[in-house]
Amino acid sequence: MVSAPESLGSGALQVRLGPLTLKNPILTASGTFGYGLEFTDFVDLSRLGGLCTKGLSLQPHAGNSPPRICETPAGMLNAIGLQNVGAAVFIEEKLPRLRQLGATVIANVWGDVEEDYVAVVEALEKAEGLAAIELNISCPNVARGGMLFGNSPSATASLVRRVRAATRRPLIVKLSPNAPDLIESARAARETGADVLSLVNTFVGMAIDPETARPRLSFGTGGLSGPAIRPLAVRMVYQVARALPDTPLMGIGGIEGLTDVLEFLAAGAWAVQVGTANFKDPGVSQRIVDELEAYCSARGRSVASLIGRALSSGTAAADAGAEG
Amino acid sequence: MLEIPGRVRPYLRRAYSVADAEPSSGEVEFLVKTIGPGTAALENLAEGSEARLLGPLGNAFRTDGLSEGARVAIVAGGIGAAPFPLLLKALATRSIVADFYLGGRSAREIALASRFVGLTAGKMILTTDDGSAGEKGFVTGAFARRAADGGYARAYACGPMPMFAALAPIVAGLGLAAEFSTEAAMGCGFGACLGCVLPGANNTYIVSCTTGPILAPEVVRW
Repeated sequence: MVSAPESLGSGALQVRLGPLTLKNPILTASGTFGYGLEFTDFVDLSRLGGLCTKGLSLQPHAGNSPPRICETPAGMLNAIGLQNVGAAVFIEEKLPRLRQLGATVIANVWGDVEEDYVAVVEALEKAEGLAAIELNISCPNVARGGMLFGNSPSATASLVRRVRAATRRPLIVKLSPNAPDLIESARAARETGADVLSLVNTFVGMAIDPETARPRLSFGTGGLSGPAIRPLAVRMVYQVARALPDTPLMGIGGIEGLTDVLEFLAAGAWAVQVGTANFKDPGVSQRIVDELEAYCSARGRSVASLIGRALSSGTAAADAGAEG
Repeated sequence: MLEIPGRVRPYLRRAYSVADAEPSSGEVEFLVKTIGPGTAALENLAEGSEARLLGPLGNAFRTDGLSEGARVAIVAGGIGAAPFPLLLKALATRSIVADFYLGGRSAREIALASRFVGLTAGKMILTTDDGSAGEKGFVTGAFARRAADGGYARAYACGPMPMFAALAPIVAGLGLAAEFSTEAAMGCGFGACLGCVLPGANNTYIVSCTTGPILAPEVVRW
């Protein structure tokens, strides 16, 4: 007999990703949720498993010139270029308010070179009220840094090792789906100190105006996100979960509702991040928490019991991919 | 084989100015020009269909600081006329007279002029690039020729970026305070995606949806 629903307290949604314990597995993805405060009309931030901030650099960053976004079938391309207020303003103006609101805050950080990453992590280390650091080694929309670290396992390893030494907080490394060998990048991040891997960031894409024959984004290329990438992301989570068992994974890619969450959990994600859907429906993240709560309650299941259910049903294709 | 159209296109919401609103009846009017899949989906909605609305978002035209009987100019390019019915009504309640300049490439692009008949005690000046209706030429030129003697206390404008780029130095030269309702592709409308920026001073970007979309011309690098 399965455990009775009444035995499931609020802890049924709780997930433990190594040193990071979350009240539920629904987070919001960096770059799609501002600093969280933009969403307080729509979401009770304390209900979320966590929120990942806009990517933070040590100094404020202006980002790319417009046009920065372009709609595509079932998704969008963006090349925002990591516009952000900088670590100091975040710590002074945003973080105290987020703490008041009871948000579980994960600071997403990026830099041009290793020293930049270390500097911003060190600045954040002194701040109180951060649950974890998420290392962005996968942004495709900046000329330096970002994806360049994620696309080479040796560069990933070197950076993660240095950042690991700079923080006592749980360390999440956000992987690039554009990496030539995702599993080797994942392994490199894990072996050098990542507590959790989040995947995936956006896929490098492009859209061209047929009238002018010019790219629709000023940066030229952009990152593709939204439901269009979901099957790609599910496949990648599945492959990494099989290749690196017992590594806590956060699944990201086109999540819009409960069924998408269940799919990622089955593929081996321990938690998920809701991304582009926040733009079209700012209340979606909290609604997914509600849906998951109702689902677990009705079925008498914990979230933990939903993780990795598809992994035993291996496929030849996935195994081949897992071998890299 | 059945298809529910519009499931993946458009994916994002679309940002529109409120053209007019009647609080007592709960009606809100949008003036929409069909240019792509998003606007086409709206055009093809059957009467009585449900649409989801997030708003109001962003700022609004300001009418404070204008004394009763003052004269203002409104400069609109094509579908840029969309936000002005509501402003004209607000100005009329305070006996502020607006001259309404509306321009487009051809007569078809200024067909919206009929929507504005009777909304202002001021003049209506129409222009087309091809001369198929109104004065031949750009609306900015028609405005510039009259503005020096217009006695305007303020200018309001909405239209495409080239119109703003032409208009900004004209109002600056006149020393005329102005409010431009800017257009940018918006991903979210509430400051999260940072997709709708306009270039501002000192190599910074202005987030159009939350700082604007109505901006003083001098803060934007057109």
